Amino acid sequence: MINAVLVFNNSGQPRLTKFYTQLDTSVQQRLISEIFTLVSQRPASACNFLPLPPLLASSPSSADTQAGPGPIHNDTPSLVTYRHYATLYFIMISTSTESPLALLDLIQVFVEALDRLFENVCELDLIFNFETLHATLAEMVVGGVVIETGLETVVKGVKEQGKVPRRVETGGAAMSRLGVGRFG
Amino acid sequence: MITMLIIKTDLKATALLKLIYLEMFGHDMSWASFHVLEVMSSPKYIQKRVGYLGAVQSFRPDTEVLMLATNLLKKDISSALPPTISLPLVTLPHVITSSLALSLLSDLLPRLSHSKPAIRKKTVVALYRLALVYPDTLRPAWPKIKDLLMNEQEDSSVTAAVINVVCELGWRRPKDFLPLAPRLFDLLVDGGNNWMAIKIIKLFATLTPLEPRLIKKLLPPLTTLIRTTPAMSLLYECINGIIQGGILEGTEGVREGEEIASLCVGKLRGMIMVEDDPNLRYVALLTFKRIVTSHAHLVSNHQDAILSCIDDPDISIRLQALDLGASMVNSENLTAVVERLMRQLKNAPPSVDATENTRHNSEGVEPAADSDGEDPGETLKPIKGSLNDAPPLPAEYRISIMRRILDMCSRETYTNISDFEWYIDTLVQLVKLVPPTNQNSSNKGSSTSAEAEKDISSEIGLELQNVAVRVSTVREEAVSAAASLIAVDGSESTFQNLNAGGQGVLQSAIWIVGEYAHFVSDPSTTLSHAIHPKVRYLASPILSTYLQAIPKIMISITSHDHTPWTSERNSMTSLLLARITHFLEPLTTHPNLEVQERCVEFLELMRVAAQAVTNHDTTYSTQGPLLLTRAIPSLYTGDELKPVAPTAQEKVPLPDNLDLDIPINENLASILQRADLDDDLTDTESSEFDTFYNVRPSRKTAIAVAGPAIETLPSAEPEPLSYQQTEGTASLDPEALSRKRLERRIRNKDDPFYIPSEDNNNNVSGASTPFHDILRSTNGEDVDVDSIPIMNLDLGDQQQSPPETSDPEPRALALSKRKKAPKKHHVVALDENLDLDIPQLASTSRTASPAPPLRAAKATRRNPLQVDSSSLGAFSLNGEGDDGEPGRSDEAEDKEMAKALAEVERLRMEMQRASERVVVPEGTLVKKKKKRRKGRDVLGGDGAGNEEVELVAGGGQVEVGVRGGEAGEAEAEVEAVGVGEGAGGEFKKKKKKKKKREIVLETGEEIT
Repeated sequence: MINAVLVFNNSGQPRLTKFYTQLDTSVQQRLISEIFTLVSQRPASACNFLPLPPLLASSPSSADTQAGPGPIHNDTPSLVTYRHYATLYFIMISTSTESPLALLDLIQVFVEALDRLFENVCELDLIFNFETLHATLAEMVVGGVVIETGLETVVKGVKEQGKVPRRVETGGAAMSRLGVGRFG
Repeated sequence: MITMLIIKTDLKATALLKLIYLEMFGHDMSWASFHVLEVMSSPKYIQKRVGYLGAVQSFRPDTEVLMLATNLLKKDISSALPPTISLPLVTLPHVITSSLALSLLSDLLPRLSHSKPAIRKKTVVALYRLALVYPDTLRPAWPKIKDLLMNEQEDSSVTAAVINVVCELGWRRPKDFLPLAPRLFDLLVDGGNNWMAIKIIKLFATLTPLEPRLIKKLLPPLTTLIRTTPAMSLLYECINGIIQGGILEGTEGVREGEEIASLCVGKLRGMIMVEDDPNLRYVALLTFKRIVTSHAHLVSNHQDAILSCIDDPDISIRLQALDLGASMVNSENLTAVVERLMRQLKNAPPSVDATENTRHNSEGVEPAADSDGEDPGETLKPIKGSLNDAPPLPAEYRISIMRRILDMCSRETYTNISDFEWYIDTLVQLVKLVPPTNQNSSNKGSSTSAEAEKDISSEIGLELQNVAVRVSTVREEAVSAAASLIAVDGSESTFQNLNAGGQGVLQSAIWIVGEYAHFVSDPSTTLSHAIHPKVRYLASPILSTYLQAIPKIMISITSHDHTPWTSERNSMTSLLLARITHFLEPLTTHPNLEVQERCVEFLELMRVAAQAVTNHDTTYSTQGPLLLTRAIPSLYTGDELKPVAPTAQEKVPLPDNLDLDIPINENLASILQRADLDDDLTDTESSEFDTFYNVRPSRKTAIAVAGPAIETLPSAEPEPLSYQQTEGTASLDPEALSRKRLERRIRNKDDPFYIPSEDNNNNVSGASTPFHDILRSTNGEDVDVDSIPIMNLDLGDQQQSPPETSDPEPRALALSKRKKAPKKHHVVALDENLDLDIPQLASTSRTASPAPPLRAAKATRRNPLQVDSSSLGAFSLNGEGDDGEPGRSDEAEDKEMAKALAEVERLRMEMQRASERVVVPEGTLVKKKKKRRKGRDVLGGDGAGNEEVELVAGGGQVEVGVRGGEAGEAEAEVEAVGVGEGAGGEFKKKKKKKKKREIVLETGEEIT
């Protein structure tokens, strides 16, 4: 299952945090900053899988010492997948029951859905409409389980909940488009 | 009034939205949980949505207001509007507790047949999360979820969501899902949805070990998928599934098996080589790692592809490749792999902290478009052929490469190494590549990395030491390597830059040089390196090893008899001793006590030796002074050192007459007590300690005064504690001193170990101690050399004989495990051990000892993000009890339970009436009970089936009861809940648990 979905920008400011377990706010913040330190050090050419941040690395190491196929299937988060779009990082933390490559595609679907909803989505849209951001995610992942991967269905589901507010046109660095097509 | 209220909640919702945003940045909003609840109950959807979002983001396990929300949640779940239904469905997974699950279950179940697929799939997932905290959810819910899965008319996205949930449930109890295999198979073959196919394959990977017949069935479609699918993720998961599902093992030997194995490996190779996608390379390496344990030969065919990843620009890919490379080394490819790693270490520029930091900062501030502009050149460039601008390697990565090299080479007592000269050379080169320790950056938490660096260089040293000790054939090479390492000047020097890493290796290097000093090609040069002034500034543990080695090297120079002891040699030796003394003198005041003690001891020895040399008359004999040629060497020669197994100590038998329980001193307690009471003594002692530790001894009174030891030797009386004379004794007037000395001399006249002096200023010693006998005899007096007992030791043989022949015994031992090398034959000495047969003791202690801490660590550590689903493991989904446990149909037990539950129910109702304003009407309770029965009927089918369900539950419960722990608690709760229902408060729940636990224990007894 997916344990957490995070979005933050190039300077580590969170734009979306969704933890599928109840966590203390301080632990959440520590995790975000640990992942940001990891992710910000990676060149663009590097692969999209992160080593586990120190906060999460403690228990899998003990799981590794288990013999047999045990460590492959357990509840501990073992995968940190990320994608970088323009100014934003999208991160998914998941257990080994998820496929790493499929998660990358899921992030892509998520961003494409946002792009449809906001028409050329940029960081500013997500700041001012972060409720829509949450709603979009809720159409795709519920309780850590992926329920929908179809772009159309996700967009339709969000639109059914009400009108997506239009963007206030202002300038600034946050306006740079996420450029969905880059990875597509 | 009403409009006022609406405006108020409107404002509140906006405020809450802002609060949620701030919460994302780490601001606590737990204080607002009641307001969240208020907004949740707003009639307006837009506001309600904000409220629910607030609940998701801010409610924690200890948020108590949630109990008040039960009715609100019930109402919203039953709402007619699909968006409103979605809100609680999406929120529940985040906030669910077992009591909440208990009360909401009956409202959620009908939603599984909602007309909207979106609601159906969200309900499925919500039920899954309910089951995690309250496994009994599955009893009524699973049949319905199964129906959704089996229904071929069902919306495909609902089916996919169900598959996802089943996949999550599946690995806990794969047995229960075997009956689904045909349907899953159909979905896999003609599903056409890659997402779902991936999950199905993952699920099958857990099923195949239980049902080997599945393998045959799965193989054709999987092969087709691997051959045809354009989706890399599906291809990858197919291969992964084949490996994890044990299909490769299952088809071992069969033609198809070999085919599929080579197909998989071939495709993985393709993912590494052809695709210019680091992600694929990474996952392919991960998969290779899984195959390598079972099919090492297949993987090593693709060694080139894997090794090419070792030079990948991406560090995480490199690390994976490194892991993989390390696990597939054998005696043939070891050299190639290590050489490759060494080349990487040599070629990559070391990363400098400062520049790295600025790079990151700029990356953080600059818009991404700019950094993209720099990147394309880097990504398009092929990895090979650009060694000059290879990416800088962080120190941690360098260290991990070095560790890996050491691991690979030393594995199984050097089975893979055939060429030890090469290995020694590699070790020496590694030392030079140890990343420098940067003291200046210690303020930003790099102290740990500095420690690790120190570690790695001493690890290399230990390796070198290990080779020198174990492999006697290359000992000479090892010694010369070590000698080159301790050289103060020259290309291999570790002293070039004192900040450079690799200091740790010196300790082992100097030990080797000292221990095998007879192999040193140029001992005088080596010695002059060892007593170089720079050495004094080394860390104290290294310095003490140096001190120990110096006399050994010195002996190898003075004791050999290749050249006659001429006056020339005599003066050379005296010069040498003077140099050593000069080196040692300043160290007598070294702050480290270990260094100080050794230094003082050896300094005395050197002085005595110097005296012997001075007094030696070369005109009478060509023999050197016996002290130097025989006496001191005997200190350092004896049996050769051998590696000893760590378990050897355990095997030493306890002597019969040794009773460890007998106190050594029976009066210890009273002595200690007396010591405590004696205040005066502690006073004087403490002042002595003060002077010893805090007052810096002056040069004049310290031992550095040139002259024999006798002058400064402390008296036999236990007055001063220090090696130096304290200020107090120095202030004694000369008369008193000489009187004391006289007394001492008379007292110690007959003590053979006491070396008295003739006179204060006379260097000639006159007493008859063995040492001085030797000294005198070397001066030409007619003393029968053989009568001196110390000379009887036959030392020459041991020193000159080649080490291979000197120890036939360990050799025979080593023969059993030796390695045939084409070039040279090396015998690796194995750990020595006692051959006493206590195998059980040894083996149990070895296997049992690491286990408990591991388990303890597992129990205490819990990953913050982890969702605990362990309670599901003990929960059976099938009515047909596959647990194989004998069922119990104890009516008395049932009755007792019913009684307990009635009591609980009564208490619960009382509590509810007292604490909650909302009173649950009796009607709903009855209705729920009916529903509950209906659920059971669905499960069992008829009456008999119904009973069986109960039996299974009982069986499972007994099992858990015996096991105890968390699962037991959950299960006990489940069982209690299976009969009683209704909204639950914290207190009632506990009550139930307690009651239940008693019953559980009883049944446990019955079975055993």
